[in-house]
Amino acid sequence: MTREEIIQKTNEALSKEFELPVEQLRPEASFQTDLGLDSLDAVDMVVVLEQKFGMTLRQKYDLRSMVTLNDLYNFIEKLANEAQK
Amino acid sequence: MKYFRTAINTLLWGSGALLWLGLSTLCAFPVLYFWPGKDGQRVRKFVYIQSKGILFFIRLCAKKLTVEKTDAPLGPCVVTANHQSALDLYTVAALGFDNVLYITKGWVFKLPFFRFVMNGAGYIDAEKTPPQIMLEQCRKAAQNGCAIMLFPQGSRKNPQARFKSGAFFLAEQLNLPVVPMAISGTGKMLPVGSIWLRASRVVLKQFEPISPRSYSGELGHLKMAQDVKKKIMDFVNTQEAK
Repeated sequence: MTREEIIQKTNEALSKEFELPVEQLRPEASFQTDLGLDSLDAVDMVVVLEQKFGMTLRQKYDLRSMVTLNDLYNFIEKLANEAQK
Repeated sequence: MKYFRTAINTLLWGSGALLWLGLSTLCAFPVLYFWPGKDGQRVRKFVYIQSKGILFFIRLCAKKLTVEKTDAPLGPCVVTANHQSALDLYTVAALGFDNVLYITKGWVFKLPFFRFVMNGAGYIDAEKTPPQIMLEQCRKAAQNGCAIMLFPQGSRKNPQARFKSGAFFLAEQLNLPVVPMAISGTGKMLPVGSIWLRASRVVLKQFEPISPRSYSGELGHLKMAQDVKKKIMDFVNTQEAK
């Protein structure tokens, strides 16, 4: 899976489930400040992305280390690369 | 004529409503301060009476106030409504809920006038209270017959904003029915940042309760939030297009 595909799938899921306008989904957007997602949303987001990508994220996902969307894209890209090996 | 009505609404009924809030709090203060009742129950009953008074003033200001209720019991539940105006806090009394625990943003607790009532009634500061403690406070309140009221949009700034799923997660955890309530017209009557009370058509509608058990899976509360928002906003948008 390419980075572009990861970005597109992630943005699709966030836009659909959390009603976030696509233009707000910039890599530098912060979950709390820019996107207005709270701690419960963060937990829901993990489940939504697990369903979207068909892989387990929750054991490896550290909520505190994720500040921006770019952190999330990097994390999923790393997991996808590991899964391919 | 429109401006004249707005001036009359603001000067007469708006001042009347403020006077009612101030004087009733002042009169009730000594009693409620020393005898707030079990977990602030007496203060919450007092807020119900205050809300009924505010509804009377809303009726005077409105072109028409319509309340559509269901026959559902008024016991423990999670009431969720859209949020357009500061007046919305008082509208739940129109449905007959007289023992309501509000979960609100922290700034309301800092208002000098409201602080006493907010703390005395045991209302919950959503920004300061850790989730586990909030859950336990709500569980205890529900066991004492309280309805829990939240505005899942969290703010009045965007009337079409997303419904956050916290209220629905709470209902799921406590196994309480969700009672959706649509509020239409209060945003036109008293918009955010305005002090002028415009005459508008106000419609309050209570929907049938929804059991959290009808939503399964890890994302049940998120799906319920989306469905309840659709139900409420479809009604509000239809009313406001009239």
